[in-house]
Amino acid sequence: MEALDALLIGFSSALTPTTLMWGFIGCFVGTMVGVLPGLGPALTIALLLPLTYHVPATSMFVMFAGIYYGAAYGGATTSILLNTPGETSSVITALEGNKMARSGRAGQALATAAIGSFVAGTLGTLALTFIAPELVEIALAFGPAEYFSLMVLALVAVSAVLGNSLLRGLIALSLGLLIGMVGIDLQTGQMRFTFGQPQLLDGIEITVAAVGIFAVGEALFLAWQGRSSTPSSLMKLSGSLWMSARDWSRSWKAWIRGALFGFPIGAMPAGGAELPTLLSYYTEKKLSKHPEEFGKGAIEGVAGPEAANNASAAGVLMPLLTLGIPTSATAAVMLSAFESYGIQTGPQLFSTNSALVWTLIASLYIGNVILLLLNLPLIGLWVRLLKIPPPWLYASIIIVSIVGVYSAGNSVFNVGLLFVFGLIGYVMRRFDFPAPPVLMGLILAPLAEQSMRQALTISQGQWTTFVTRPLSASLLGIALLLLIAQPVYRHWRNRQPKATL
Amino acid sequence: MTPSRVAVLLLAICAVAGWQVSVIPESAIQMAVGPDMVPAVVVLLMSIVSVFYAFSAFRGQQRDEASEEEHSALPGSQLRMATLLLGGVIFIVLVPVSGFVIPATLCGMCIARSFDAPLNLRSALICGSVALAFWVLFAKILLIGLGPASPFGL
Repeated sequence: MEALDALLIGFSSALTPTTLMWGFIGCFVGTMVGVLPGLGPALTIALLLPLTYHVPATSMFVMFAGIYYGAAYGGATTSILLNTPGETSSVITALEGNKMARSGRAGQALATAAIGSFVAGTLGTLALTFIAPELVEIALAFGPAEYFSLMVLALVAVSAVLGNSLLRGLIALSLGLLIGMVGIDLQTGQMRFTFGQPQLLDGIEITVAAVGIFAVGEALFLAWQGRSSTPSSLMKLSGSLWMSARDWSRSWKAWIRGALFGFPIGAMPAGGAELPTLLSYYTEKKLSKHPEEFGKGAIEGVAGPEAANNASAAGVLMPLLTLGIPTSATAAVMLSAFESYGIQTGPQLFSTNSALVWTLIASLYIGNVILLLLNLPLIGLWVRLLKIPPPWLYASIIIVSIVGVYSAGNSVFNVGLLFVFGLIGYVMRRFDFPAPPVLMGLILAPLAEQSMRQALTISQGQWTTFVTRPLSASLLGIALLLLIAQPVYRHWRNRQPKATL
Repeated sequence: MTPSRVAVLLLAICAVAGWQVSVIPESAIQMAVGPDMVPAVVVLLMSIVSVFYAFSAFRGQQRDEASEEEHSALPGSQLRMATLLLGGVIFIVLVPVSGFVIPATLCGMCIARSFDAPLNLRSALICGSVALAFWVLFAKILLIGLGPASPFGL
């Protein structure tokens, strides 16, 4: 009941015209970045971080949440009409969605994706509303040792699970940790990795690193390839946007199952949206009364994964709001937004900034409605966006990237760093290093170091504190398991054929 | 660029980072974890994984998109990348003296060129409009400091 009361207060704040306007802008921009290739929610939120100096925290986070949800909605459009997912989480949608579009049912594919996103987004937000306060109660028992171990687990999970190689994931993570330690050590005042440059004393800004790796790095990679000079062939928007009774009956169960996959997996470290969408797709394929339609345009194959994708977005917000631990690149950038407002994240957030948290949660419900209203009627606009020729699209993306970086202090040094990170992003993209561990490492390095120092101060320098406290030891144990699981599995798989011979 | 060269680059980064750890001054504050301990552990971790990467790269086991036919680069890749980076250099050199819009326009034209758009008046007009639109949105509407739009201080 307490959660309901707080939520009602959140609604009264979220429904004020100013907050609604920021929510609307966030949903609109989010859908746009979801539709456009080369832009994503992490990059967009990073670009908008300079706004935190001018806009109140509540409005800003409502907009960020709108961008996050909106990007999840918008990704489906490119998958269905272009067969080019705007987001990695929409890859599965393209499998069946584009086939439906090719057979003249683009309208129904877009409709089931949008309505499924609304249903799953709302279910995910409901889960966030009622589970988050319970998790806060548990999290209040966490001390610095547990926090340090939790951050180690989050970092290891992101490095081990994302990408195709544990080795490359760990290299990306250590690079991120290294970059995160640039600047003055806040506890001792000593300079680290600054090369005597005064511009590096405050450390490297998340905006510069995120925008450089994602936007400039992607543009450099595509320019290197030289295959993106003309827009991809766009499917005609065919078929009615109204779903038939048969479409509804085949979609609704898939939406609910998708939400059930999306929320819990999204809340796990490195769970992300890719795994639940994949699981949802294969579950729908298994349970469908028309398995022969899969691969040719089965509506369940669009409904389930899109629902999973949106529910996972709500899931990702749970550890961020309750524990202060980001489990994705977007959440990591949002964490740095909390830092720039001087807001302490973690379980205390629900007591110290209760109004902000509940307004944010209420705005997620409202955002889902806005997105449903925005998506289908404005589909023509989103389709037109896809026709922007790549030279002008990427010129615009890089110009707005420079704006985002240059606006924070008019520093040409940071613009130079932006292109250095762009080159790093290009190398990572070309040689298959995952990008999220770099950002997570950058943001969590100073926080993890601080928690470790606090834990050691409390334990009077006893390193065993991390393994003698049961929860901390369990978290470190899971991290260790994740580290060794992949090599052990690969070794076992390599031995399998020999064993059968 | 090949995976072997990436490995050499990583090892070079580790060496430079190791040197930087060695020059972190001792802290006068007595504490269990000094300012150089965590950086040293991170550099050690990075060195270990980089050595593993180097071994597998030299044995040809690491991935490069250039070796995959679908993703490999078309001729002129170095020039396209250099053109894009030139856009960044132009912006950095010109922005302190000529305001935001002109450097951003020239930068945009270089980026469009790297995606095979011609360097002509149309390109200048499109990139100029984009630069001006972003300047108006951020500097005038959102009141985020981008400096003057032009050398005349508009």
